[in-house]
Amino acid sequence: MGYALVLVRSASLNLEAFARATGTHPDLVRRLVALGVLDANRDAAGELWFATGQLAVMGRVQRLRAGFGINYAAVGLVTDLLDRIAVLEAALQEARRPGR
Amino acid sequence: MPGGPRADRRDFYEILDVPRTATQDEIQRAYRQLARQNHPDVNKDPGAEDRFKEISEAYDVLSDPQTRRRYDAFGPDFRQVPEDVDPEAFQRSRAGAGAGQAGGPGGAGGFGAGLGGDFGGINIEDLLGGIFAGRGFGPIRGADQEAELELTVEEAFQGGHRSVTLEGPDGRRTLDVRIPAGVTNGQRIRLAGQGGRGSEGARNGDLYFVVRIAPHPRYRVEGRDLYVDLPLAPWEAALGTSVAVETPRGEMKVKVPPGTSTGKRLRLRHHGLPHPRGNAGHLYAEVKIVVPAKLTDEERRLFEELATVSTFDPRRR
Repeated sequence: MGYALVLVRSASLNLEAFARATGTHPDLVRRLVALGVLDANRDAAGELWFATGQLAVMGRVQRLRAGFGINYAAVGLVTDLLDRIAVLEAALQEARRPGR
Repeated sequence: MPGGPRADRRDFYEILDVPRTATQDEIQRAYRQLARQNHPDVNKDPGAEDRFKEISEAYDVLSDPQTRRRYDAFGPDFRQVPEDVDPEAFQRSRAGAGAGQAGGPGGAGGFGAGLGGDFGGINIEDLLGGIFAGRGFGPIRGADQEAELELTVEEAFQGGHRSVTLEGPDGRRTLDVRIPAGVTNGQRIRLAGQGGRGSEGARNGDLYFVVRIAPHPRYRVEGRDLYVDLPLAPWEAALGTSVAVETPRGEMKVKVPPGTSTGKRLRLRHHGLPHPRGNAGHLYAEVKIVVPAKLTDEERRLFEELATVSTFDPRRR
């Protein structure tokens, strides 16, 4: 089996399409945007648009909620902390690398 | 046991690391702690998802007193035992028949032998539909996973293919990873759809290999630049010379100008690691002046003569 490096195309999904793709209700998606958990852009008509990368963010939110019963407001804090830890771990690994 | 239950299925108490006498509170505490450590969004290790699944399965069974009683009595294949079989009566009858295994490892030692043929294919995945499914959450995309990929300087230089074996939900799998020439430390190679499994038809997560270039006896790597020691005799450094330096592309001649001291870097332009979309890094030969550990009489005489004649003071400010 061979796998090539994949170029991710940045497409956008509107609220309905995003909710459908993640199997969630648009109201929930809207609430997560309001809580700052999901990133979205608003167009001139006021409609929300989501980058495809947000599908992975939504997956993580759903798994954290399913796994730990975390409420949606706290999920934002948990994901922020996980991201910060990932950055710190990468920096730590970089600093520990021999031959520097 | 062909067609029978998985022989390697671990005991649920062992998975949660609690004694068989554990209270419901202790089981809950053990589960919470292990779930926090192995949740696929907290732990990017490709094996974590399997552990999380195992922990969740164990907890699902042991957290419900009635299911736990059935598990204790009938062992790992308790789901195949009809609901109306009374666990206590079953154990009494086993004890009476001298089977005497109750309380041993793996519960009652497995019920599968007799029933395996018809029910052997049963899989907890089918019952739970993935870790997060079946709990009213709908389809959930799989988690991204990360694994380290250690490469030699030569592999990073040339690129190529590397076969990597990982433990996954369907057992071990071997992936052929294409390494682009010129990957650097910390760079991520993405294998789309090879991460955690999505539930209910949702997309799988991606698997990322984070490149780490292994320490090399000769080269030090910084970004795309390579550093190599260039040992010189004092007279070579003072008079200048031309020496061969090994590079990943083969030997290169380097001109050492007269008056070169330790620490001076001689740059071989674009002889470092290649860049897929730009200029390659450089290779720096770092001068290190080395003296003979033991001098011959003649060398000693000449050095002494040099010491008398020379007015050079390396510590002068």
